[in-house]
Amino acid sequence: MRRIALALWNPIVAKEYRSRMRTWRSPLAMTVYIVLLGGLGWAIFSGMSLSARSAFNTGQAASFGQGLFIYLILFQMVLLAFITPALTAGAISSERERQTIDLLFVTRLPSFSILWGKLLASMSFVLLLLLLSVPIFSLVFLFGGIELDQLAAAFVVTAVAALTLGVIGLACSTAFTRTLPATVAAYGAAFVLLAGSLLFGLLFPTDIDPNATRAPAPPAVSYLSPLLPLVTIGTNSPVTWYGVRNSPVGFSSACAGPYGSSCAVPLGPNGVAIGKGFVRTPPQPTGTAIPSGLFSGWQYWQATVTMQLLLSLAALIVSAALLPPIRHLPWRRPTVRESA
Amino acid sequence: MIAIEGLTKIYGRRTALDHASFEVPKGEIFGFVGPNGAGKTTTLRILAGLLEPTAGRAFVDGADVIQRPDLVHERLGYMPDFFGVYDQLSAVEYLDFYAACYRQPKARRKKIADDLLELVGLSDRRNQLVDTLSRGLKQRLCLARALVHDPAVLLLDEPASGLDPRARVEMREILKELQTMGKTIVISSHILPELTELCTMVGIIDQGRIRATGPVHDVIRQLTIGRRLRITVLGQKEEAIAVLRPLSAIHEATMVNGAIEAAFEGDEATAASILQTLIAAGIKVSGFNQLEGGLEDAFLKATAENVG
Repeated sequence: MRRIALALWNPIVAKEYRSRMRTWRSPLAMTVYIVLLGGLGWAIFSGMSLSARSAFNTGQAASFGQGLFIYLILFQMVLLAFITPALTAGAISSERERQTIDLLFVTRLPSFSILWGKLLASMSFVLLLLLLSVPIFSLVFLFGGIELDQLAAAFVVTAVAALTLGVIGLACSTAFTRTLPATVAAYGAAFVLLAGSLLFGLLFPTDIDPNATRAPAPPAVSYLSPLLPLVTIGTNSPVTWYGVRNSPVGFSSACAGPYGSSCAVPLGPNGVAIGKGFVRTPPQPTGTAIPSGLFSGWQYWQATVTMQLLLSLAALIVSAALLPPIRHLPWRRPTVRESA
Repeated sequence: MIAIEGLTKIYGRRTALDHASFEVPKGEIFGFVGPNGAGKTTTLRILAGLLEPTAGRAFVDGADVIQRPDLVHERLGYMPDFFGVYDQLSAVEYLDFYAACYRQPKARRKKIADDLLELVGLSDRRNQLVDTLSRGLKQRLCLARALVHDPAVLLLDEPASGLDPRARVEMREILKELQTMGKTIVISSHILPELTELCTMVGIIDQGRIRATGPVHDVIRQLTIGRRLRITVLGQKEEAIAVLRPLSAIHEATMVNGAIEAAFEGDEATAASILQTLIAAGIKVSGFNQLEGGLEDAFLKATAENVG
């Protein structure tokens, strides 16, 4: 038990807190973060107040609340995607540049503790930013339309996404000797995670199968992006606008309603209607759960959190394998040595 | 206490260390001498468990540096040839941090930091930020850092490099104190005269190979052939050299800075008979003394054999 406690709470964390909070950068980063997020919240709030003067009812208030929440949560995710890689991409490489990493290696601190300490210190700062944003998000409850569980789920997604970005940044910092390439790689990875995975869903959407019994769902890779579940949580409605497409031998979309239709006409490869009979269209998703595929029945945010945690674990394992100065890799034959 | 056996390290095509072997018994101060790029830092990094040797073995207090790095780190204090300091940490916090990394109990860490700051003469700077300390003070703090876990063995890579003469003297005093505390110390340095005074053992390394190793005076005797005389005469220098050269005990006699330096083979009686011969030949000898061969001579001799 004591060993676990020592591994989790180690001197690196306390040292990082001291170093980080004694510079002007941390208060500045917190201030800029709050000003940007609060500024956006205030701008949207003002815009809504203006439009509410002409006409405003309970339904509109709920939709305003949802709109404000989605803008804020997406903006917060983008802000964290800029901040988190910067926090961790230099964690190990800056120790190398400062020539302090060897001094840590010769102590009794295991390599994993060094990684963990760096990660914990960086993620604590991200958690602090998330906590600072809570009062801004409370604005949403003035309008309604968002429940507490939605807010909690959105914060879990955001926190896990930030953790994933942090661990990937740490892996880049371990893999690259210098901080600059590590930072570039970490931002590249952040872009791929947030936007690249969504782009995958646009480029390679799931084809609608007319004979399927379940509604189509976007490809599983696209769940890696936290943006999709955040929008799903905010709108509290199924995903019908992304990641699915009619197959080459598809259906006339003109008569395909949101809940399926019986008037669809099969189309040939040249887009000309073929046949005369009525063809059944596949069912459309109705709830916020993923209707089919690998994560069938899961909420989008649950799939995202699971995939990102697995990705974080993989990145952490890679970092732990790369960090030690002498790597005892399992596939390397141990040298037979005798005691002197 | 420290042993390396056939240690070899190859970087690509370059052999940094070539079957190096030596042993340092407990309580000795081992001077590790060699030109730049000779393999000193590579050897020390292997001993500290920071580098894997291509071949060979290294032990610290019986623990294999590759097999049991945990034991090695417990018994070893390592001070590299750079400072490695953090921003925004005071000297006492810096030592406290490393003491915590070496798993020293929290209750003891304050005393450890205070004692070490006193040992290296930094008690009055305990709350100064480490990155604002001068080079000499940083060097002393780094030595204190290597001692936070009271290791039995100290590896000091160029501890005096870049220090002014006063700081070097202070560093030497601290090392002498550590010697009295019974630590086994390995020092790599270019400051050869200091090593002669401080070290009990010496190892000379060049191009990755150990050229000589053993107690300082043994190495000097081993590498400097014969003994040397410095003779000053009133005029008659050419005549004096002409008298000396035919003598069978004299290897060579040359003029050096206005005096005659002669290498000879023999003991005190041989030196006395050389003086008698000069006087008998009518040479007016005003000075006659024997020169001690130094570590520097031994080092130059050991490394010159491989040049050209």
